Parts: sequence; structure tokens; C-alpha cells
Amino acid sequence: MEFIVKKDSILRRIFLFIIPLALLMIFIVFPFLWTLLSSIKSQSELFKLTYWPQSPTFQNYINLFQASDFLLCLRNSFIVAFSTMLVTLVITLLGAYAFSRYRFKGKQFFLTMFLTINMFPSVLLLVPLFSIMRNLHILYTPLALILAYATFTIPFSIWMLTGFLNDLPGALEEAAMVDGCNRRSAFLRIILPIAVPGIVATGVYIFINAWNEYTYAVMFTNVDSRTIPVMLKLLVGEFNIDWGLLTAGGIITVLPICVMFVFVQKSLIQGLTAGAVKG
Amino acid sequence: MKKKINFAPYLLIAPAVVFMLLVVAYPAINSILMSFQNYNLTKPQQRGFIGLTNYITAFHDPLFYQSLINTLIWVIFGVGFQFLFGFILALILNRDFRGRGFIRSAALIPWVTPGVLIGLMWTWMYDGNYGVINDLLHKVGLINTFIPFLSDANAALPCVIITLVWQGIPFFAIMILAALQGVPGELYEAADVDGCPAHTKLFKITIPSIKNTIFVTTLLRIIWVANSIDIIFSMTNGGPGFSSMTLSVYAFKKAYGTLDFGYASTLSILLTLLLMIVAVFYLRNFFKSADEQ
Amino acid sequence: MKKLAKAVAIFLAAAMIAGVSAGCSSNKASSGASAPAKNITLTHWLWVDDPSYLKTMQTIADDFHKANPTITVKLQTYAYADFNNVLTTALAGGGGPDTASFKLTWTPSYTQNNYLVDLDNSISGWSGKADVVPMLWDKMKEAGSGKVYTMPWTWQVLYVYYRPSYFKAVGINSVPTTFDDFIADIKKCTTTINGKAVKGFGLRGSAGGQEPWGSFIQAFGGKFADASGKVILDSPETVKGTQAFIDLYKGGYTPATAPSDGLSQLETEFNNGQIAMFIHHIGSSVTMVKANGTDISAFAVPKGTGGQWTSMGDTENVVLSASKNQDAASKWVEYLAEKDAVSAWDTTTGNLPVVNSVAEEPAFKDNQFVKVSMDSQSYAGIFPILPTTANWVSNEWAPIMQQALTGKITAADAVKQLDAKLKG
Repeated sequence: MEFIVKKDSILRRIFLFIIPLALLMIFIVFPFLWTLLSSIKSQSELFKLTYWPQSPTFQNYINLFQASDFLLCLRNSFIVAFSTMLVTLVITLLGAYAFSRYRFKGKQFFLTMFLTINMFPSVLLLVPLFSIMRNLHILYTPLALILAYATFTIPFSIWMLTGFLNDLPGALEEAAMVDGCNRRSAFLRIILPIAVPGIVATGVYIFINAWNEYTYAVMFTNVDSRTIPVMLKLLVGEFNIDWGLLTAGGIITVLPICVMFVFVQKSLIQGLTAGAVKG
Repeated sequence: MKKKINFAPYLLIAPAVVFMLLVVAYPAINSILMSFQNYNLTKPQQRGFIGLTNYITAFHDPLFYQSLINTLIWVIFGVGFQFLFGFILALILNRDFRGRGFIRSAALIPWVTPGVLIGLMWTWMYDGNYGVINDLLHKVGLINTFIPFLSDANAALPCVIITLVWQGIPFFAIMILAALQGVPGELYEAADVDGCPAHTKLFKITIPSIKNTIFVTTLLRIIWVANSIDIIFSMTNGGPGFSSMTLSVYAFKKAYGTLDFGYASTLSILLTLLLMIVAVFYLRNFFKSADEQ
Repeated sequence: MKKLAKAVAIFLAAAMIAGVSAGCSSNKASSGASAPAKNITLTHWLWVDDPSYLKTMQTIADDFHKANPTITVKLQTYAYADFNNVLTTALAGGGGPDTASFKLTWTPSYTQNNYLVDLDNSISGWSGKADVVPMLWDKMKEAGSGKVYTMPWTWQVLYVYYRPSYFKAVGINSVPTTFDDFIADIKKCTTTINGKAVKGFGLRGSAGGQEPWGSFIQAFGGKFADASGKVILDSPETVKGTQAFIDLYKGGYTPATAPSDGLSQLETEFNNGQIAMFIHHIGSSVTMVKANGTDISAFAVPKGTGGQWTSMGDTENVVLSASKNQDAASKWVEYLAEKDAVSAWDTTTGNLPVVNSVAEEPAFKDNQFVKVSMDSQSYAGIFPILPTTANWVSNEWAPIMQQALTGKITAADAVKQLDAKLKG
């Protein structure tokens, strides 16, 4: 890639790279910045349209960690999001591999089934799922949420991974099989390494959706198993919104994921090139 | 491949299929059945099958048509711009430049922000009395008086769509960025040797190489956006009037407002059918290209 | 390939075992909790307006446990916006708490499914009955078609908040006592005060706005229902009142954001000094006083030529019929309507006490907002409690009124639609 950049004229670089990136990033980051600034403003200054807080205070953050069970919720969210991601990825990677690399009867039927399930609005699943969870005696445990989330992450990720795998050139693996690898070792040695970006991206998707999900979370959790979105929504009262805690809570919810992603993104972009060179 | 039945693929998809059958099949069938019933929680005595009555009601319901049109606008513009900006961002983030790891993480922010907060913050930013968007537009000199964005029946839907686009850009950016890693570098090198201009490379190499991902992401996003309700709920509640009411918001209000689960199911199933029509177009291409593998 | 298949089988088996064992362990836990003789644990669902209020509630629950050592109450909060949905889903799914906070307008959909326990028997033997503000019992009976399903918990009466310094600046010397004066004062306050563009009235056009609107229509002689409970909203008087409501917006006497403004917008506009008046109740007084100091006061909703009415806000507690410990549950909701609990809760939240003995405590009696509320008590009312009411209030009123405000339909059309939707 380096030499391509060198060939670019300065003007091209500005118009095709710097300006679009700057505009997009301003659009993306501004609401976050506004939330961040609001979270360190005093209550009286909150709605005064001052941009830089006159007397920045971290009281909201102190209150957040002291007053409520914020850390417990953070932990619950991590457990649920991480488990959902793990369970979903294991189950769907197998399925997606079959869908992408085998011809078999009923393949289109099953793929369509997963897609149709994904179309089903969660509103209608709430009451029946609640009964199921209650009868399994897992209501108000993290397991209930993991199960509920799997209802939408599995169909999604089957499709997503199938798409990614279909985009990977089949030639590599055929070559490996000609070289005497069986299907399984061709999968493990060739496909899996070059599929890492797709798997990581799908994992990120599952994690974030489970992390942010609210409708199921509010129905299937109680005070001990509550996740972050549920806890944040509690700050919106009948007559009163606690903006300070809400904005601070929002920032604390966003930051750890973004920091984690700084590390994850490296494996998102080690792709075919890396695998091919090694091969 | 030999004509012998190979059980391997069935075994591989079994966990996913079994799980979906166990957990989702009953609720799904149940709600299909509900759409043919008079199923109102406030009228438990009148519960029973009423054939197609709910569907006929829907086809005579002006609000159904308005929500349908709003849903189309919501999905087409919402997903369209999400994809466009996400794609551009992915191409940029795929390049080598200093601080790209940091920028990639920052680009994830809208997606990670809890939905509860998104609606509240954007409503605040749009506010016609103390909103920062109005203040900035005013300071730049684009407007003289503050605009009540969300109180205007013509502006409300576009405004919530902007929020939706904001939220969805990272999804496409990350997914497409991941897919771009599978494009063999030799293709670009060969194109460079031939002296191909950048846009030719984009349309002749990049897009064809990741077409399955593009298909799948847009299809899944269309479904997700058509069903998403939280942004509209917290920002406009479908208003002013019914100007930002989509089918899924309408169905939710029917289910939990009037407790008319029968009609709510009908609306949801009509939405699902609509999505199926979109999906058929996608599936044809997808299955065709998958078979070429 | 065989190994892969084996791995799948092992995984499936593991998942099943995990599911089954999880089921077993929670089974044990639940049976273990209820087995030791007569120690009862009640689950109480509630919403709180501020996370800190939960501490007060916990203290109340602890005090109750001290008085009734065999009963422990476990508190569980949900956001108000979702409370009814969550409760409905849980009950429809066969679960739910023993007791819960409640709104009168929800009553019909719950009683029709037999979700609520009739409290009449329990109350007749309860010592605290006489202390409850008598008017509240009437409202409870009205909501339950003669039966009492709901135990009073807090209540509020809507009045007009205003900024005294603005009244002074535009030369209003005393608060309005007639509806005409009220509207005239709104217009007077719509001007520039201390270099700030001020609108006279914060009009609530989103859900919840039906309460102030109710005061408008009744001031002009409109009525929701007749004595028999039949909806008679569609009347020339209601149209007149609605027109007056709309004209405030169209005339520019309210912020341009009125059609979408909700309570939090109005409070912020008031705190920012952008509006001079708005209608709400004591529930916002604690935070509003914090933000505005002494520059906030209140007056009762004035009397119009056709009548005087203000909306009563309410929160009750109910016992769910799925509860296995209904006697203990009744005891708990009764305790919540007794002097100690009421005093503790309302001191924290600033709500109106539901029992007379607390209302007469100096801390309440001398509060200006309590005073205005009590003065308005005689003409405070609730919306007719019909199966349609809850949905009408949260989903029907706002879109119809928003269309009327933005000129898509006329006031008469709006009233006709509102009437039809309330009738269902």
C-alpha cells in the first residue's frame, strides 16, 4: 500500500483522504464529545450552551461509582456480551462453514429459515420467551439473556459468516486439498486464519449488540443481573432525568469497548495477505 | 462430489438449527396464529379465531399505509446513507496512516453508545430552544432563529434518519473493512501495472471481491433497521402526528398500548412479508454466486 | 470429519447439561427460600424518580421487616417508561411480583385479566383506613368500578408554576384568578425580559399534555364524561377550550417546539428562563427549586367561565393475584399507606401525603407547593377510567393534538377524534 500513497499528489490526498475522513469523524465523534462535555458540567450549566465547562467537575463520575450498583451492571454486561459472543461464534462458525463450502439438500431452505427468523420483530417474542425462561427456571439469570440474544445473533451471524466465507477465494483451500490436506485440516490451516477478520468483525457485532440490547434486558433481568442499558434507563424518572449520571454513565460504557477495540482491530486487518505470505 | 449423502453439513448446522427450533419456533408460530385471532389482552372473553379480519382491517387502515411509506423512507435512506458513509470510511481506514488504530476505535463510538442515551442526547442536540445543533448553525450564520426540528412534521423523520445513519456507519465500516482484507493484493498490483485509475480499481476489483459481504450486510441491515424502534420511540414517539411512525413502531404501540396482540402480530407479519420480498431479490443473487464457488 | 462431528456432539451435550443443571440449581434455590416455615419473601416492583429515592424505600422496607419479622420485602426498580410493559409481559408470561406500584389508568386492563387482588376485605379490617385523605378513596373506587384494587401511595395536583421576577417585570401584581386573566398574563409575559426572549406559556404537546389541556377545556365548560360514565368529549365547549389551547401556540405565546415538548423540555425551558409559566405538579418541585431558588412559585389553575378543573396525578400500590402470599402482600401495601412510610417517602420525594396526619405536619403544611395543591384539591379530578384510557393517554392524545397544533386538522376534528378514540 505504501507506494500507492507516495504516488498520490498532495491535492488528491486532501480531497480523497483528509477531507472525507475529517468530515466523517466530526459527524461520528461530535455527539460523543458533547456527551463528554456535558458529563463534566455542573447541573446549572448543563443547558446553557456553553461549550467548554466553566468549572469542570468529576462529581458525576464519583457519584456514578459510589451511589449505584454501576460496577455490578458493568460486570453483568461483560459476562452476557462475552458469553453470547462465544456461544454464537462457536455454533455459527460450524454452520456457516457448511453453508459456504458444502452443497447439500435443504441448504437454501435452512438459510432462508434463518433469515426469516431474523425478520421477526422482538416485540412478539417477549411474552413467549418470558414463559420459556420461567419454565426453564433461568429467568433473571445471565443465562436467560444469553439465550434470548442468541435468538437474533445466531441467524445474523450464520449469514454474516457465510457471506465472509463465500468472499474468500476457494482456490487456496482446493490447492491445499490437492496437496493432501483433508477437508478438516484445510479448514483449520487455511480457511480459519484468513477468515479471522470476518470472524472478529462478526464477534464485535455480537458483542456490541448484546452490550447495548435493552428490550429483552429489561424484561429478563432483576436487580442482581441487570445490565448497563437497563441501569442507565433507570436514571430517566417519571418527572426527572438525571443528566449528570446519564452522560457520565454513557461515557463509561463507551470507553472500555473502544479501548478494547484498539487491540482487537489489529486482528481485524490481518487478512489474506498475511495468511498468503505465511503460506 | 459423489452421489452419496454426506451427513457432515447437516451435523455442522445442527446446533444452530436445533437451538432456533427449540427457542424461536414456538413463539414464531404462536404469533403467526395470533394474527388470525381476536387477541386483545383487555378483552380476554372475546378471544378466538377470526380468519383474515385483522388483515382486512390493516388494508383499510390509513395509518398502516402511512407507516408503510415511512418505513420505506426510513429503510431506504437510513440504510443507504449508512452504507455509503460506512463504505467510504472503510476504504479510508483500510489505508496505512499514522494513528489509524486510534481512529478506527473512535469510529466505533456511535455503535457502542447505548440506545437509551442516543435518543436522549440527539433529542437534546436537536432541541429548538437549547440544542447545540441550532446553536452551531446560528453561530455559523446559516440560520437566524432556532429551528424546532423535531416539532416539524416535515423535518422529524429526516432528523431521526440522520441519527440512525450516525448510529449505523460503524457497522458497515467494520464489516466492509474486514471483507477488504480478503481481497488479494496481487489484483491491485496487476491493475497498477496496467495503469488503471483508482475508480476502475474500485468498481472492477474491490466491489466484486467483496460482493457477498455487501449483499449480506445490506440485507441484514435492512431487516434490522426495519425492525428497530428505540430511536424513533425516544426521539419523536412516532410524531408529530404520525409523521415518523414506522410499521414496527405502530406494531409495538398496538401490542403494548392497546394490548391488541392480534393486530400487532398482523402488522408484524405484513412487515415480515415485505422484507421477504426484498430478501428474495437478494437471495437469488446470493445463492447464484454461492453456487459458483 | 468424524472428529468434527464428535466435537459437535460433545458441544451439544455440554450445552444441554449446562441448561439442565442451571435449571436444577435455580429450582433448589427457589424451593429452599420458601420452605423454612412461614418466612415470607415478597417482591415489590416500583419505579423511582431519582436513584437516590431507592434508599428511602429500602429504609421503609427494613422498618416493615422489623415490625413484621417473618416478612422480607425485596425491592426491584424499573424505569417508569417501561414499567407497565414489563409488568404486563411478566404477568402474561406467568410471572411477576407480589406487589407493585401502579397507575389508576392501568386498572381496567389488569382487572379484566384478573391480575389484581380486590383489597376491600383487607382494608375493612385495617386500622389506617380512616387516616387516608377521603377524596382518594372515591378515586380508587371510581377506577375499580366500585371496588378497591389500588392502595393510595402518592398523589399530586397540577397547578401553574411561574417565575415571580417575570411577573414583576411585565407589571403583573397578583396571580391570575380567572382563566381570561391567565391567558392575558401569558400574552403579557411573551416579550423580551432582561434581554431574553420569553414565551408566556410552556405548552406540552407530547404525551402527558392531555392533563393541562383538560384544564383548558373544562374552563370553557367541556367535560370528559357524564355522571353515568359515558364519554361526552365531543362538545362545542371542548372545541372552544381546545381552540384556546391551540391559539396559544399559533399566536407565538409558546415556544415553537410546543408540539414535541414533554415535561423535561418544559422544565429545562423554565430553568433557562425561556418560559414564564407551565402547568405541572409538586413532583417536579424539588429539582425545580434547586435550579431556580426563590424565583419560582405556583398558583392554582384558575376558574374559567365554564368551570374549574385540574388533573390529579397518582401512584398506587397493588397486590397481584399471582402472589402466593396475598395476606402478607396486603399488609405491606397497607403499611406503605400508613403514617411512617408516607412521611418518609414524601419527605424525600416531595409528593403530597395520602394520609391526613402527615399532611398536617409542619414540614408539609408550610410548603408553598403543598399549599397550592391542597387549595386545588376540591376541583382536582382524574380522567374517566375506561379500558381505552391508558392507551388514549399515552398513544392517542398526542398525535391528534400535534396535528391540530400544526394546522393539519381543525380543533373540531381533533375533538371528534379524541372523543372517538376514548370511546374505543
